[in-house]
Amino acid sequence: MTKVTIRNLTKIYGQAIKAVDSISLEIPSGEFVSLLGPSGCGKTTTLKMLAGFESVTSGSIAFDGDDVVAVPPEGRDIGMVFQNYALFPHMTVRGNLAFGLEMRKVPKAEMQRRIDATLDLVQLGPYADRYPRQLSGGQQQRVAIGRALVIEPRILLLDEPLANLDAKLREEMRVFIRDLQRRVGITTVYVTHDQAEAMTMSDRVVVMFGGKIAQQAPPSDIYDYPVSREVAGFVGQVNFIDGFVASVDGDLACIETPFGPAEVPAKTRGRGSAVTLALRPEAIDIVPDTAGHGIPATVVSSYFSGAILDYTLAMADGTKVDVKTIARTRFEPGAQVRLSVDAHRFWPIEAA
Amino acid sequence: MARQALNIYSVIIYIFLLLPIAVVVGASFNSGEFLTFPPQGFSLRWYVAFLNNEVFMRAIRTSLWIAAVAMVVSGIIGTMAAVYYVNYAARSKETIRIAMLSPLLLPEVLTAISLLFFVYAVGIGTTTMFGLLVGHVLITLPFVFMNVTSSLEGYDPDWSMAAQSLGASRWTRFRRITLPLIKPGVFSGCLFAFVISFDVFTISFMLKSIGSSTLPIQLFDYLKTNYTPEAAAVSTVSIVVTILVVIISEKVLGLRVHRF
Repeated sequence: MTKVTIRNLTKIYGQAIKAVDSISLEIPSGEFVSLLGPSGCGKTTTLKMLAGFESVTSGSIAFDGDDVVAVPPEGRDIGMVFQNYALFPHMTVRGNLAFGLEMRKVPKAEMQRRIDATLDLVQLGPYADRYPRQLSGGQQQRVAIGRALVIEPRILLLDEPLANLDAKLREEMRVFIRDLQRRVGITTVYVTHDQAEAMTMSDRVVVMFGGKIAQQAPPSDIYDYPVSREVAGFVGQVNFIDGFVASVDGDLACIETPFGPAEVPAKTRGRGSAVTLALRPEAIDIVPDTAGHGIPATVVSSYFSGAILDYTLAMADGTKVDVKTIARTRFEPGAQVRLSVDAHRFWPIEAA
Repeated sequence: MARQALNIYSVIIYIFLLLPIAVVVGASFNSGEFLTFPPQGFSLRWYVAFLNNEVFMRAIRTSLWIAAVAMVVSGIIGTMAAVYYVNYAARSKETIRIAMLSPLLLPEVLTAISLLFFVYAVGIGTTTMFGLLVGHVLITLPFVFMNVTSSLEGYDPDWSMAAQSLGASRWTRFRRITLPLIKPGVFSGCLFAFVISFDVFTISFMLKSIGSSTLPIQLFDYLKTNYTPEAAAVSTVSIVVTILVVIISEKVLGLRVHRF
């Protein structure tokens, strides 16, 4: 198993276009890390530098302490899964899996054993002699993963591997890849622009914007404690609530908000300063107007999307709030309701 | 109505194109002394005459040999050029394309004369077949280049990258992945090269080495002084060789195209 250490990694195209801007990242052995961000944030460039397909402008990449920047891709011992799978169309599934082993001059018997084991791992045993064009998208995807894993590489790199699959298959493959990675225990870097994918699969999510790392943390921390408006907005829906510091008591600050007081970790601001709080839509609950408690609001729109109801509401001062609820009672647009908030779910982002 | 008219039109075009060939083939079975059509009686005597004509036999061997060498050399150079053109040429792309296709764009006689001057200027001359071979390679190169280029356009560079990530060197990637996948293009390019070389006249006429001749040249020489059906027999053999090359290579060597 391999530990990956990235130090001040930078990629400049042409004279001044910084695709990746001095990022540093430590990936412990066996960890599943996702690089998450919008297109053009530098996540794919970073992955290609890890694989060796993209040259490094400055900085270093080390596998277990060995600098690999000067090593060409064929010498890095990586397993790579491409977005379009890139299976060799003129080879069977077995041929595709054998290719990397042939490059490593693995003896015949050993090769058969490893291919069979990998075919079992990716559940493709019966398809060994099929050509890629005879397989479904999901099966091709599993061949691509098998081909990358059969060589027992030091690290596994995946470049938006689920982007071409339909929604149901995508969810199945998320679980499949995650389980597989846990079982094999291989250090994995996964590039995606889909926050749900990054959340469900990763040990750690690295959110990138404009070539820089905005935040790196376990998925739940990224979701609950985002460091910036951008991060908060990129990983799911969020409401930004303006408030001001009412009092500071040690590590905690009491913030006055339109939803009532909220206690959040104190930053260095003094009393009276303006603060923006993030509040996830599911931290707000809707109760009928007749309940008598909570903050009054009017339903602007409500959408049914299966498991949840998606509301947009307007508060008395006109502020719009998004709410997601699993309640089955549906309030129609125009209805007067009251909102109750889980006060622990407020999180300070930055000054307004 | 319109469709029927189009069908009739197509048939007429084909008749127009193929009739001369049919006439030549028919005339070759003539039993008379002169090249006439319709033939006067049926006979294979002119084929026997052709097979016993040492000059013609030497010419056909020369033609086949030159076509084979030109095909191999064009195949290699043209494929390499196409790989460079598609994968590596950046700003020079258009220039390379025009340069590669120029033997097609320029009048053949012009190419032939310039090449003749060139081989004498650099001292190669026409005492050997080298100049002739260069000419044939030059004239057949665009066909290989065009065919390989078009099959490379459907080649996903990720295939090479995947092979590279699995540990394959540049040469291995080309041999194991790229070449098998562009094989249909290389193949039809080589086929074109062979057939074009076998048929080409002007280049051979200018550059042929002293004392040797290709089949079309020999036929031309023959027709200057003779007008027997033997000429038709030679032409028929030439047509049959061309068709055989196409059929045999498709059947035997196999054009198993991979569909994705």
